[in-house]
Amino acid sequence: MIPEAGTHLPREQQQQMRRATRLEWASIGYAACTITAVALVVGNSQAMRTAWVEDMLSVLPQLAFLIACLVVRKPRRPTHPYGYHRSMSAGHLVAGVALLAVGAMLVYEAVSGLVKAEHPTIGTMNLFGHTIWQGWLMITVMVVLSVPAVILGRLKIKASKPLHNKLLHADAKMAKADWQTNLASVIGVGGIAFGIWWLDGAAALVISAGIIQDGWTNTKSAVVDLLDRRATSFDGTDPHPLITAMEAQLKTYGWIEDFAIRARELGQVMHIEAFVVPIVGELTEDRLYQVREDLKEADWKAYDVVIAPVDELPDFALQPREVA
Amino acid sequence: MRSKRVRRQRGVVALICGGLALAFSGCASSLPMDPEGTLDSVRNDTLRVGVTPHEQLVKIDGGSLGGRDVELSKEFAAHLGAQPEFVLGGEESLVKKLEENELDLVVGGISSKTPWSEKVGITRPYAEITDEKGKKEKLVLLVPPGENAFLSELEYFLDQTQEMP
Repeated sequence: MIPEAGTHLPREQQQQMRRATRLEWASIGYAACTITAVALVVGNSQAMRTAWVEDMLSVLPQLAFLIACLVVRKPRRPTHPYGYHRSMSAGHLVAGVALLAVGAMLVYEAVSGLVKAEHPTIGTMNLFGHTIWQGWLMITVMVVLSVPAVILGRLKIKASKPLHNKLLHADAKMAKADWQTNLASVIGVGGIAFGIWWLDGAAALVISAGIIQDGWTNTKSAVVDLLDRRATSFDGTDPHPLITAMEAQLKTYGWIEDFAIRARELGQVMHIEAFVVPIVGELTEDRLYQVREDLKEADWKAYDVVIAPVDELPDFALQPREVA
Repeated sequence: MRSKRVRRQRGVVALICGGLALAFSGCASSLPMDPEGTLDSVRNDTLRVGVTPHEQLVKIDGGSLGGRDVELSKEFAAHLGAQPEFVLGGEESLVKKLEENELDLVVGGISSKTPWSEKVGITRPYAEITDEKGKKEKLVLLVPPGENAFLSELEYFLDQTQEMP
């Protein structure tokens, strides 16, 4: 059954949504453990500090997702006639900009440390009466922590696909790449162990470049959605396969002479307008209602479908469709 | 395509594990290393100690130095088979010399909250004193920045001989 346009997802997607929410809570719990564990050993290594900040930042998209989940289910009302689906995009944007800003800050710190030739000092800890160099503890913590992050990331990628949720997808990709951050900090601390002081700053630079890249990807994707770009699927298929499918559907009606679809993303669903030019004298109310029903039933993502009979297609439809 | 990526990831993991095993077993005793080789140059040679005056911990009696921190430096020098060589001065000039590798150690009632920790290395607190206002203060020693073998050896020595609050 296709639910009424508005707030609800089909049963399968609702289940996926609950699963995704659980995964995000698990990620936040895991991040809390990571942040605590790394805080205990972080010391003076710039690479470790950068990885630590990255751990804290990784919570942002997760928080954005969970908060958006609360808002997104609100029903539409006169003041918000499109519903609250865009709260996902808003969260996405906030997370992206935060990543960019902090990434830039960390790049500055890494570069200034390298330029000033600051030699990172890492001392020892007294563990059960043994004097142990903290670097070994850092390396152990980073290696141990990298495993669950990758597993969580893979699970989230699986959940994000049927949900058509780009925020979740971006978050999952970040988590999946988290082991690279940990590896870089291990190399940095390993460098310090061998007296290669600059390797630490270099590793910090690599990690912060990764953060900036995440930030850029997230910001770009969120801004593009907020600018009402033609809908794409989260793997970059452009136009979204649903648009192609609907166009094929519209071709099957004998009374439609020409048509154009305008679809934009509202978070994980789509707002779709179909402009149809009827053959003169062929347009009836029933035919119009039928087209709307057919398009709505094509997919759960077709959340808000408007059919507009026109005598001439809008200008965007008259240009070659591949123009970026 | 996928299997190739998985294989590559496995390769990386194996490399890390191998590297770690090597680091822990093979050369754990000689790691970490000093970028500037402080520990090697001090061992069986000279420990250049900067001393800054402190009411309770450094006693300046004419030409000779005494007090708890000075004694501690002498003991550490002996631990390394080295002769201590003392330089008296203010904290700022001593820290500068430490940064430029003209000193190996600075002592003299330095608090664990010292702002110099941004410029040079500090040890874990090795003692606690109460100053005249009754406030408790943890004491540390200053070492050259990034000389992690030297710092580790010093902290090992402190672990063995001091109260370590």
